[in-house]
Amino acid sequence: MTTFGWVFLIVSWVLILGLALFCFMRVFKKKKID
Amino acid sequence: MARKIRDTWGSRLGIIMAVAGSAVGLGNFLRFPVQAAKNGGGAFMIPYFVALLLVGIPLMWVEWSIGRYGGGFEHSTAPGVFHSLWKKNRFIKYFGVIGIFGPLVIMVYYTYIESWTLAYSFFSLTQKYSGILEQSSMQAFLRGFQGLEKNQYFSSIAPAYVFFLITFMINMVVLNYGIRGGIERFCRFAMPTLFIFATILAVRVLTLGAPDLSRPDWNISNGLGYLWNPDLSQLKSAKVWLAATGQIFFTLSVGIGVILTYASYLKKGDDVTLSGLTAVSMNEIAEVILGASIIIPAAFVFFGPMSMGRIANSGAFDLGFVTMPVIFGRMPFSGVFGFLWFGLLFLAGVTSSVSLAQPAIAFLEDEFNISRKRSVLFFGVVTFILCNGAIFFLGKGVVNDLDFWGGTFCLVLFATIEVILFGWVFGINKAWEEAHHGADMRIPGIYKYIIKYVTPIFLLVILGAWFFQEWLPIIRMDNVSSGNKVYILVTRVVLLLLFLGLTVMVKIAWRKRKVKGERS
Repeated sequence: MTTFGWVFLIVSWVLILGLALFCFMRVFKKKKID
Repeated sequence: MARKIRDTWGSRLGIIMAVAGSAVGLGNFLRFPVQAAKNGGGAFMIPYFVALLLVGIPLMWVEWSIGRYGGGFEHSTAPGVFHSLWKKNRFIKYFGVIGIFGPLVIMVYYTYIESWTLAYSFFSLTQKYSGILEQSSMQAFLRGFQGLEKNQYFSSIAPAYVFFLITFMINMVVLNYGIRGGIERFCRFAMPTLFIFATILAVRVLTLGAPDLSRPDWNISNGLGYLWNPDLSQLKSAKVWLAATGQIFFTLSVGIGVILTYASYLKKGDDVTLSGLTAVSMNEIAEVILGASIIIPAAFVFFGPMSMGRIANSGAFDLGFVTMPVIFGRMPFSGVFGFLWFGLLFLAGVTSSVSLAQPAIAFLEDEFNISRKRSVLFFGVVTFILCNGAIFFLGKGVVNDLDFWGGTFCLVLFATIEVILFGWVFGINKAWEEAHHGADMRIPGIYKYIIKYVTPIFLLVILGAWFFQEWLPIIRMDNVSSGNKVYILVTRVVLLLLFLGLTVMVKIAWRKRKVKGERS
């Protein structure tokens, strides 16, 4: 795999895992915004 | 007659699992890796993420919001929900018929395909295909199983039909127990199990190294490279952008009415913004991280770069049911890994098919005040009859036609209608307030403009491009062989009658509602 390939793989994985982490942390915090 | 008490979700995690279960289907593990490999590799992820941000996530929030809003008026399906959003318009409820018709059509062929995964799970454990190490023989095994030919593996379609009956019954049992007791309970078990199965398989594939020592280039790093090495020149092609948008539609289950129905069982103060985004994140893990790490890298290390073009072009089903069993056959513990693969596809299939069935069942419950059990029975009988067409005329192109009308055309049309209704008719300010009612997360302000302008324009362009390029060839059946034309024509007549039947049912339901309102 080329360096560019690794960059695309790692960036995609980080974005998705980051989104999931953000969401689940807030889901379990159960904090309403209003 | 007294109205029934509406079913509700038992927990927040329950609805997130159910929506994610609806979204995570065969497409995550079969369709996505093929689409990515064929459309620019890593570069495909650029239009994919753009479509996710501009179409997928906004539509997810729209469906969750309008579903919960319609549920407040005791409507769980699109005709009632659309009517709640635009009370002054007498005709809008008929556009909502698409939100029952589309999922029903998909359910008709999806359940049959789902039953293949159950059958292959069984065949994996019983080692029925374990001695088949060539793709051509495995193709014959699949065709024999589907009843498309008689061969040394199968002499009739009977085994496929038995597995279809079992799968159909499993779906009906889950549906019979309702939202909380059936769908939620099943998804809370199925989703973690599916993720465990997929993780085990992904780890196994990613640690394969180079199984053939005489061919060190056929290794897992190059296998990942086949999927991820970006071909940035492909970004100039409109086809790649359309493929990415199509994949986002398929993968998230948006624009078909099932999430709208699920969200209608929420309570008024329940969050929709964070829950919707959480379901999206679960789906993306299943697709981009797990889905992309199994089938393409595994095929690469066993068949090499020269065969990959042919394998990727063979279609998602051949990849799943022909290539993967051959790969497992060449690995130690083939039965176990085969079972995990088809088991995960089966669980992904059932969590999706029950969501496809729910709008039609909810329509009978809500608009005709029919009990859950009777609604499931009625739905089961009608769907069972229709499924037989997909089973016995598989080789005549019937499933492809059902997939086009239910899984492509209705999807884009319904999504366009709902986003325009939400952003323009209901009004973006009111819509924004509705989405944030009881919210655990504030949606970034820019989405007010994305939902109002960008998403509808994006969808209208896709719809317009489709009308311009494909409308006539599809209607004229240009790509259908002359022998199959009569089967496709009959399929379309049946679909038209089904759509008209549902439209008449909406008319009757609203007339009853009006008479009841005048009496009281």
